[in-house]
Amino acid sequence: MLSRLSAAAAILAAFAATATIGESLFEAKLPRGIDFILQNSPTPQKHLIETMPGGVALLDYNNDGLLDIFFVNGGRLTSPMPTPENFDRRNPRYWNRLYRQNKDGSFTDVTEQAGLSNAGDGNYGMGVAVGDYDNDGYPDIYITNYGKNILYHNNGDGTFTNVTTKAGVAAGGWSESAGFLDYDNDGKLDLFVTRYMEWDTKHSKDCGGNFHTYCPPEEFPATTSILYHNNGDGTFTDVSQRSGIAVKKGRALGVAFADYDGDGFTDIFVANDGMQQYLYHNNGDGTFTEVALEAGAALSEDGRRMSGMGVVFQDYDNDGRPDIVVTELPREIYSLYHNDGGGSFSYRSLQTGLGVLSSGTSGWSVGLEDFDNDGWKDLFVAQSHVLDNVESIDPSLHYLELPLLAMNRNNRFESADSGAATPLAARGAAFGDLNNDGWEDVLITCLGSHPQVLLNRGGKAHWLVISLRGTRSNRDGYGARVQVNGQTRYATSTVGYLSASDKRLHFGLGTTDKGKVEVVWPSGIHQTLNEVHADQFLEVREPEKQER
Amino acid sequence: MTPAILVLWFTLQTLSPEAVQHMQAGVAADKQRQFDVAITEFRRVTELEPAFADGFISLGQAYMEKHDFDSAIPSLKQALEINPDSTPAHQLLGYALLVQGYPAQAIPHLERAKEKSAVGIAQIQTGQLPEAVANLQAALAEHPNDPDILYYLGRASGLLSKQSIDTLLAAYPDSARAHEAMGENYFVLRNMPDAESEFREALRLRPDVPEVHLELGEVYAGAFQWAKAEEEFRAQAKLQPGNAEAAYRLGASLLEQGKVHEARAELVRADKLMPDMPETLYSLGKAASLDGDAAAAEKDWSKLLTIEKETPLAAQAHFGLANLYRKQGKTDAAKREMQAFQRLQSSSNPPQAPEKPAPPH
Repeated sequence: MLSRLSAAAAILAAFAATATIGESLFEAKLPRGIDFILQNSPTPQKHLIETMPGGVALLDYNNDGLLDIFFVNGGRLTSPMPTPENFDRRNPRYWNRLYRQNKDGSFTDVTEQAGLSNAGDGNYGMGVAVGDYDNDGYPDIYITNYGKNILYHNNGDGTFTNVTTKAGVAAGGWSESAGFLDYDNDGKLDLFVTRYMEWDTKHSKDCGGNFHTYCPPEEFPATTSILYHNNGDGTFTDVSQRSGIAVKKGRALGVAFADYDGDGFTDIFVANDGMQQYLYHNNGDGTFTEVALEAGAALSEDGRRMSGMGVVFQDYDNDGRPDIVVTELPREIYSLYHNDGGGSFSYRSLQTGLGVLSSGTSGWSVGLEDFDNDGWKDLFVAQSHVLDNVESIDPSLHYLELPLLAMNRNNRFESADSGAATPLAARGAAFGDLNNDGWEDVLITCLGSHPQVLLNRGGKAHWLVISLRGTRSNRDGYGARVQVNGQTRYATSTVGYLSASDKRLHFGLGTTDKGKVEVVWPSGIHQTLNEVHADQFLEVREPEKQER
Repeated sequence: MTPAILVLWFTLQTLSPEAVQHMQAGVAADKQRQFDVAITEFRRVTELEPAFADGFISLGQAYMEKHDFDSAIPSLKQALEINPDSTPAHQLLGYALLVQGYPAQAIPHLERAKEKSAVGIAQIQTGQLPEAVANLQAALAEHPNDPDILYYLGRASGLLSKQSIDTLLAAYPDSARAHEAMGENYFVLRNMPDAESEFREALRLRPDVPEVHLELGEVYAGAFQWAKAEEEFRAQAKLQPGNAEAAYRLGASLLEQGKVHEARAELVRADKLMPDMPETLYSLGKAASLDGDAAAAEKDWSKLLTIEKETPLAAQAHFGLANLYRKQGKTDAAKREMQAFQRLQSSSNPPQAPEKPAPPH
């Protein structure tokens, strides 16, 4: 028996197929005007950065009520790489791209006129974060790179200004995901940046012997993530050491924010690759304590380290507490940490059916959104193996994969047709209502090719989309807890892997045509709106003081 | 003075003083690994005393130490001409012949010297596979965990298995067993689609053939197709209700699908059929924990830890207990189990990457 057991442990996947239910909610459609191709520039040298981009953001940069799209591009890799490193980012082929949505649903490339075409020749692009760090009412853009990161201030006239030097947020090394949050509830958005490892093109190497593959993360030293405190004058201070964020080194990819213990302060979850995950508990005094192991959110059910890549921190079971989903590599199954309250999590991948859906796949960006507006958040994962030649090493695995759409049915996830026609090398994914029809759409970036836009076909169920307008709190309302008819969302645009979603909060209401909206603002103000009509885009403005 | 040295001492008394002098010089040179000098000295001994078997043995041994097996063989054969019962001569000649690629000639000499492992290795080469397995097993009993013996025993067993399967495939290519064997080959090669079709064909030809459902279930489990795996394991469990592995596999596949209650029932059955298997105990604890039965989980994992203390499964059991105690608010117990888990984890983990990047390859 033992021999069989051990032999079986080494068995590899052959053809992971999952049953689908019903017709797809989505229609795969590339809107007119979007011609972006994510240039990751794969090389025979297998520079690790090649397989890691690219971020995408859904934002309304010009406040016209229509979501626009920002794509982060990779860069040109050559062999050998010149010194200093140059990724040819002045070449339009390697520009990041901003597409403005037009009233007819088409898009116009406004990259150059917006002042976003120069991403720095020494920068290979990774991810994007969106937030109004100066509370002027216009979303600003932060771009992470292998190299120096860039903060673009939105001037409010359709243009952006690179303010990185003044702001002091260039970081350096290899940054991955980033996100704006107000960790000290001072009404100004701070910035968290994950960094992957100590790596550079000069010290790159390939692994896998004759197969020549990208190396696993353990081949390179771990590094620290960065927390920048917003000083309120257009500058930031690196508080990584002082806050305790830099106490532990990691191999950080994804990041997500939520107040998991209800103490009024935003906590941070970092998805680490090939090691334990980190949960930074916000102590409320400007410091954090890493508590993932004690909280039960560090490892798999069996105590195994995982290849954490993307992460989402939202409440999937409507118990009012944010849960965590981490995407990983095959044979690890995506981790679902259920928030049990009291600062404790339980591993629930098996009970929720997520294990069966993910044991043979590789996940990157991930979102928990109510795609069918039934009042329960569903799961979407951008999938593709990290190795572009994985089939030659293990025929049972696949580089190109279909995205995972898993519908939440009584807190059990069931596979559904994502609408993607062909398998993809998907990486980033952002979620939002692109066409303002009340139904959540999906935007996926794919290495070496056009993005995929999955437009929700919609249906009859009711919905409510809420925009937060902070007054005492940060203007975006990031960190607010918003409840509608028993559902909870934590306000953030940071999502999954390298990406930023529509900051508006979407709720499916099912057959109910009215909602009770309760907001707990980061300032501590509680706000309740009763008998709110469904099927509308509602702006909720934070009261200047607590209402009675 | 040991008997062997006594014999040598008495033997030397019969040699001429000149021969004794060369013998002693040869031994001294041999000790200093000056093999060419030793060979010259021992050859002189054999010339002075052509009936002295030990002179030829020493000469042969010196050649072997120099890895000149071809030259060693005539000396050792000559020693056996003089003294056919010399165990050292048989031993050395057997090894020399084996190294030179004459396993059939080596075997009688190695058998005389009772060199079971070497006999087994020679028998692998002569195709006497059952005999080789027997000899290597006997050698392993005398030298447990000897890596060379373990390797050759594995090789002999594998070749024996292959021989049987080749015969089966040649004689009965369309039989259920032949398809099962082909399925196993494809399985090893990770060619899961072909493994699946071969196992399916075996079942079509002989639906009651034992083990095939189990093997097919493993194909599906390896492909993460847990519902299909469950179906096959269930079929195997129905065919063989006393098969502990079928019960375990069925339980594990149910657990993977989150069917916790059913999984527990099958794992309990597996534990009854073959008590105290660590894998079963771990999965039982996991199923009980997922089912909310903390007491049962604690019992199963604690039992596992009485059987295994330093293995990965033991680490997992400590981790499970730590989480279980944490949820129960037993902070000290949780901390203790987590420390045990971390200790085992750190002892089994490879060292971390260096702080600075290594130079490029």
